[in-house]
Amino acid sequence: MVRTRSAYTLHELNAIIKSTISYAFPDAFWVIAEIAEAKCNQRGHCYLDLVEKEDEAIIAQLKATIWAYEYRRLSQKFQGTTGESLKPGMKIMLLVVITFHEVYGLSLNVKDIDPAYTLGEMALRKREVIERLKREGIADRNKGLALPMVPQKIAVISSPTAAGYEDFFRQLDENPYGYTFVHILFPALMQGQESEKSILSALDTIRSARGLFDVVVIIRGGGSAIDLSCFDGYALASQIAQFPLPVITGIGHEKDDTVSDIVAHTKMKTPTAVAEFLISGVRSFEERIMDIHGRMSVCVEGSLKDWHYRLNTLVQRLAIAPLRTASADGRLMILERDLKSHVRQLMHNENNRLMRMEQTVKLLDPAQILRRGYSITRHDREIVKDAARLKKGDVITTMFSHGTITSIVGKSVRGTKGVAREDEQEQTAYVLPGFD
Amino acid sequence: MSKSKQLTYFQALTELEQIIAEIEAEKTDIDVLAEKVKRAAYLITFCKGRLRSTGEEIRKILNDIEDKTGAGEAIEREIDL
Repeated sequence: MVRTRSAYTLHELNAIIKSTISYAFPDAFWVIAEIAEAKCNQRGHCYLDLVEKEDEAIIAQLKATIWAYEYRRLSQKFQGTTGESLKPGMKIMLLVVITFHEVYGLSLNVKDIDPAYTLGEMALRKREVIERLKREGIADRNKGLALPMVPQKIAVISSPTAAGYEDFFRQLDENPYGYTFVHILFPALMQGQESEKSILSALDTIRSARGLFDVVVIIRGGGSAIDLSCFDGYALASQIAQFPLPVITGIGHEKDDTVSDIVAHTKMKTPTAVAEFLISGVRSFEERIMDIHGRMSVCVEGSLKDWHYRLNTLVQRLAIAPLRTASADGRLMILERDLKSHVRQLMHNENNRLMRMEQTVKLLDPAQILRRGYSITRHDREIVKDAARLKKGDVITTMFSHGTITSIVGKSVRGTKGVAREDEQEQTAYVLPGFD
Repeated sequence: MSKSKQLTYFQALTELEQIIAEIEAEKTDIDVLAEKVKRAAYLITFCKGRLRSTGEEIRKILNDIEDKTGAGEAIEREIDL
């Protein structure tokens, strides 16, 4: 006999194992594991390496398969909820049927995935990363940086082919104010397993040239919202948090903020929004300048008005000076005129006076008086002015305009002074009869 | 203060704010005012001009990056100057 001992062939053994396992695990059951590796082949089947770790050491490992027919449906459902595709490092809860194949061995046939578990797991991890950054005191470090007064020189981390990148620089370059923006792309993969490493390397490059830039912008095409987990990783988030320039994110998603968004200086939703933010920053600087310009114009205008007014006053006062000369001229003319008329008046008056004096003189001439009928009587050569001085028998001489007579006083009458009032009769009586 | 390219936006704005404060605070002598306004106008023109400066500065930055990181070549491929 060839066979001395009782033994199974390998195929027999595997057949026994297979039937034992299917007997022990007749139904599907839920299992929790971490993905160590995920691969899809060309036919659309997905092969997973599942592990369980304890302090980073693998304590359990098993293969799992999602057949193409199931995978299409399951991956859509999973991405729809978590925004992620199945990938290493991810913790998942799977509905599996345990299978044993005689050639390929033990593996899990995945019937369903519970995305809610992964979502909760991701949120928990995110919280852990945030907690760690806070504990290390770096979570708010980038936020503590002052934004540049004019964010004009921009280091951009993006994929050069991303639609979001094009949106970004078009928005910047076509800004309505004509501002110049210097934006330089530091290309990086924004999706997939390599993205975190790629972004970190771009940050390193920028760090070595940080003096040339005002801000760092991390933008990502606005297309699919999947695969954001690299922005939740500790490595990238801590680099962003500690970056010496303000980091602005525009990762393009509507979901909860990633850890990178949280620790970045400013988080915008889309690349376009980042561009708008930068433009508004420059605009606000220019507005401050324009405000000062405007205030200065008002001040200068006020001062100029003031000075203009003062100058005008001066000019007016100066203008009065020639007027004064003019008035002096006028006054001189008036004076001259006055003087002439005064002199004329004076001459006229003097003339009249002279004429009157002449008349008076004429009137007072004794010959004239005598001619008018008055006479002069003398006694002892003296002119007789008072009849009382004469006595009866005195000899008097009376001079007329023509001729003289000598008479003897017969009778005198007292009392009358005026010659004019002398009684003619009495007068006659004085006339010596001999004279007739 | 230097009137060369060394002047930063921050310095320009600080000086402008100082000037406007002085002008607004008191009745400045006309000659002093003229001097201040002249300086302010220079600063404003400087800032506005620099906000809209041309590609020269970009070229300079590119060169500097190349010097500092050796990454300029890769970068230059990305932007069409």
